[in-house]
Amino acid sequence: MAEPVTVSDNKHKSQVNSGASYSGNGRSSAAAAERSSGGSGSSSGAGAAGGGLSGGLTQPAGWQSLLSFTILFLAWLAGFSSRLFAVIRFESIIHEFDPWFNYRSTHYLSSNGFYEFLNWFDERAWYPLGRIVGGTVYPGLMVTAGLIHYVLNLLHITVHIRDVCVFLAPVFSGLTSISTFLLTRELWNQGAGLLAACFIAIVPGYISRSVAGSFDNEGIAIFALQFTFYLWVKSVKSGSVFWAIGCCLSYFYMVSAWGGYVFIINLIPLHVFVLLLMQRFSRRVYIAYSTFFIIGLVLSMQVPFVGFQPIRTSEHMAAAGVFVLLQVYAFLQYLKDRLTRQEFQTLFFLGVSLAAGVVFLSVIYLTYTGYIAPWSGRFYSLWDTAYAKIHIPIIASVSEHQPTTWVSFFFDLHILVCTFPAGLWFCIKNINDERVFVALYAISAVYFAGVMVRLMLTLTPVVCMLSAVAFSCVFEHYLGDDMKRQSPPAEDSSDEDDRKNAGNLYDKAGKVRKHVSEQEKAEEGLGPNVKSIVTMLMLMLLMMFAVHCTWVTSNAYSSPSVVLASYNHDGSRNILDDFREAYYWLRQNTEEHARVMSWWDYGYQIAGMANRTTLVDNNTWNNSHIALVGKAMSSNETAAYDIMRSLDVDYVLIIFGGVIGYSGDDINKFLWMVRIAEGEHPRDIRESDYFTPQGEFRVDKAGSPTLLNCLMYKMSYYRFGEMQLDFRTPPGFDRTRNAEIGNKDIKLKHLEEAFTSEHWLVRIYKVKKQENRDRVEHKLRSSNANKQKYTSKKTSKRKRGYIRNKLSLKKGKKLQKKFL
Amino acid sequence: MFRKLFICVFALVFFYYGPTDAQKKKETLLSEKVTQMMEWTSKRSVIRMNGDKFRRFVKAPPRNYSVVIMFTALQPQRQCGVCRQADEEFQVLANSWRYSSAFTNKVFFASVDFDEGSDVFQMLNMNSAPTFLHFPSKGKPRRSDTYELQVRGFAAEQLARWVADRTDVQIRVIRPPNYAGPLLLGFLLAVIGGLAYLRRNNLEFLFNKNCWAFSALCFVLIMTSGQMWNHIRGPPYAHKNPSTGQVSYIHGSSQAQFVAETHIVLLFNAAVTMGIVLLCEAATSDIDIGKRKIMCVAGMVLVMLFFSWLLSIFRAKYHGYPYSFLIN
Repeated sequence: MAEPVTVSDNKHKSQVNSGASYSGNGRSSAAAAERSSGGSGSSSGAGAAGGGLSGGLTQPAGWQSLLSFTILFLAWLAGFSSRLFAVIRFESIIHEFDPWFNYRSTHYLSSNGFYEFLNWFDERAWYPLGRIVGGTVYPGLMVTAGLIHYVLNLLHITVHIRDVCVFLAPVFSGLTSISTFLLTRELWNQGAGLLAACFIAIVPGYISRSVAGSFDNEGIAIFALQFTFYLWVKSVKSGSVFWAIGCCLSYFYMVSAWGGYVFIINLIPLHVFVLLLMQRFSRRVYIAYSTFFIIGLVLSMQVPFVGFQPIRTSEHMAAAGVFVLLQVYAFLQYLKDRLTRQEFQTLFFLGVSLAAGVVFLSVIYLTYTGYIAPWSGRFYSLWDTAYAKIHIPIIASVSEHQPTTWVSFFFDLHILVCTFPAGLWFCIKNINDERVFVALYAISAVYFAGVMVRLMLTLTPVVCMLSAVAFSCVFEHYLGDDMKRQSPPAEDSSDEDDRKNAGNLYDKAGKVRKHVSEQEKAEEGLGPNVKSIVTMLMLMLLMMFAVHCTWVTSNAYSSPSVVLASYNHDGSRNILDDFREAYYWLRQNTEEHARVMSWWDYGYQIAGMANRTTLVDNNTWNNSHIALVGKAMSSNETAAYDIMRSLDVDYVLIIFGGVIGYSGDDINKFLWMVRIAEGEHPRDIRESDYFTPQGEFRVDKAGSPTLLNCLMYKMSYYRFGEMQLDFRTPPGFDRTRNAEIGNKDIKLKHLEEAFTSEHWLVRIYKVKKQENRDRVEHKLRSSNANKQKYTSKKTSKRKRGYIRNKLSLKKGKKLQKKFL
Repeated sequence: MFRKLFICVFALVFFYYGPTDAQKKKETLLSEKVTQMMEWTSKRSVIRMNGDKFRRFVKAPPRNYSVVIMFTALQPQRQCGVCRQADEEFQVLANSWRYSSAFTNKVFFASVDFDEGSDVFQMLNMNSAPTFLHFPSKGKPRRSDTYELQVRGFAAEQLARWVADRTDVQIRVIRPPNYAGPLLLGFLLAVIGGLAYLRRNNLEFLFNKNCWAFSALCFVLIMTSGQMWNHIRGPPYAHKNPSTGQVSYIHGSSQAQFVAETHIVLLFNAAVTMGIVLLCEAATSDIDIGKRKIMCVAGMVLVMLFFSWLLSIFRAKYHGYPYSFLIN
């Protein structure tokens, strides 16, 4: 790399750029030149997989494109097949929770058509409220799957919609790796691009959201994200409206697919803003951003769920502010030609700071007057990390919203997490417009990933790209012979305007070449031995990475969580299919419009598999409704019965893991139910009541009496006290919490057990109807006693007679008569 | 002062004219007490009490107000760090109540310091501080009138909830906005701006890529080593086993981490990164060949050694992970 030269050159570049007029014709030739030189520079990078093939061939360009094509194809194939663990081990089944909803709505879309889907009111969710599905989902995923299904059927390839849904994410992972390749090629060179494509194909951080069966927004959204960024970089580099429009369309797809589009709409303005600060403003940036902002805004508002948010909420205001700033900046640049230097400088600083101030103040004013909604809680909690914990327990309760430990960084990224800072270093050292972008991308994504485990997903692509840059740098210098490297190594991937302006202003490129060739001579001394050792070790690291990825995918990310598996000592496998067993029971044995109450985690599964009405589900839009369910679960049976009656509950479904030691069951989630209920009903539910005086949460005899008598506890442990799992433990021993339960003699008054699955994992209770006449046992008994006192005198004769005859007394006939 | 005088005069007049039966006397005493309490509260929202005052205003019978008392030990020689934090929260709560629009004489906040009223501590059989007690307006304090400090913590919000529970007085906790953060930020910006202004003829350092690259790397390394987790969860620096006295720097489970551990990981990550950079520098820089070879070997060793070390730590934490490299 010819750093010293480019460092000094970059400073002049901005002025050169802003002065130079944009020429549409220059683009294609420049791109072509870049492609050829990029290819030759990266031959060593590609050689990482292909060896020294290209050395002795007459037409390296042809071989190179073949090689890149093959590598990309293999990356796609490897990515696809490593996501199939779950399908091979279990079956083609939709995983987890959210995918069940997506599957259900895709099914609805494919059987009823697009417009029906947009107007779909789902009366089976959030009873009695219902849910307007068409207006509250990002439809991109369903439309994509539905479209593929439609096209396949049009070609008379009959595929069930479920199979399309199951295999959608693995297929899209291949597209992601191709778009990553394209983006990295724009940023660095082709060799780095190929490495990046291979990395992202198998990296666990991305596989975690895109295994077969995980039919979720993220699976296609990462593709859209990378592709949008690629088109953005392309449009900044070329300054052409064509690429900018392409970027908008890709952005539109992203908006329709995932809420994470907010990341794009903030990152791109940030990029433009930083470019302005670095005095790298050019017409290319102006054209690209103005086009992107306007068209992107209009397109994003076409998605029903997004609607007017892009002009009404704070998350989108940065983009508008930067847009205004850019216009002012461009206008001042225009004035520059017409004014003297002194005048311009004062005007410039005045103008820019005035514009920034006006934008800022107007945003604040509009926020106060209510035209712009303030930051929504989910986004706000990213900045103020203590916010969610205090104010929104329902966000804090989700495990993927927890902060990230270093272990999970390493687990998801392995070697990449240590090497990608090196790539960032190289990018910043050889900065240009698009590398500013990738640096900002890396820094913002790494912050978000640190705050939330879930956002590791947005970090993963940039880590792959930057690590690929680092590895490709090493391979470029250590792979291959010293003698053969006559062609200049890659400074070619930098701005095209270097090239464009090279001819007419000063001969920069020539200087670079000279410098590099000087280096080449000095470099010959490093020796083949050292080089080959370094190469071997690097390849070994990559091999370990591949092995790690496969292991992680196979062990951590490939369980459908709808079907569980356990392994015996001899390695044979037990399938625990309790969930589906229970949902199928519900489907078959209950009335069609029966309402099932459960904690919100299982709402989508009940709707999807059992096809029954649920009260709350994973779309947690109504906190007070969830709190009501939480209150029912955490109050005692009588109070819970009132709530359940008011909600028309017919069945209650809970997950109980005490028999097999399943840790994700409802008792372990119980404290969150209490907390959420307490948030809405602080008078009735208090979290402290569920702890022992020492502040412990325990289910055994020492546990707090409120806990031992609440509905959730009773339902979980009903009849569990009679059950002895093995001879070493007492009856009623909970394997999940390793404790003997404290309340073994549980009697249910308003509920009755309807179904318990094979391993007790799912228990379903039926809520009894109210009796025709209330049995008021105590009063009756006391009045009886009184009556007896009086009546004994009245009927003393008869009584005397009976007393003598003991047999007739035993029958108790007389007593019965009295009761009636 | 005026009001007190007025009440005195009023009382005198009252005594002079009216019959001095017990009921009347009690009422007078009560109103006198309330007035006194109100006056103190208007001076400082948490009334400081000693043994005498405590007996007179809290223990003695005619009382129609609840008192929430914090028993504490704030003298520096007591070295009670928790007391000071709890005191701050209590002040926040008392101030929120004092300056709220719903302020009445139903509830008063007071504190008893051990060094001023140790007799009160003896009287109540209390041997730990801080303790929060509620003395209801009627009847004796019950079990739930003692605040469960261990369970609920001493955040003002929790205290407010407890007070609302005991007295039916809802207090909205209003924390005085913390100006320290913005002030510090402003100060920092001013310093930076001032430095930039002083060096306005020599702003080259802003164009120094090494500087920018270094800070970006620092940020990335801080984030990837889980410092954000530390910030949110606040783990201990390291764990000392009380029985053996052995200090462990690495947490045994993959779900948690110590601060020391994250620093180690940060260093290891930085070392691997530096190794890669060194490898590239060795191949491209134009210093003499001996130094370059040394750089190359150093880079290689850094990458290999620290990566395998990192892997071994990971393996120790993530049970069942099968792979290792160089170091077990």
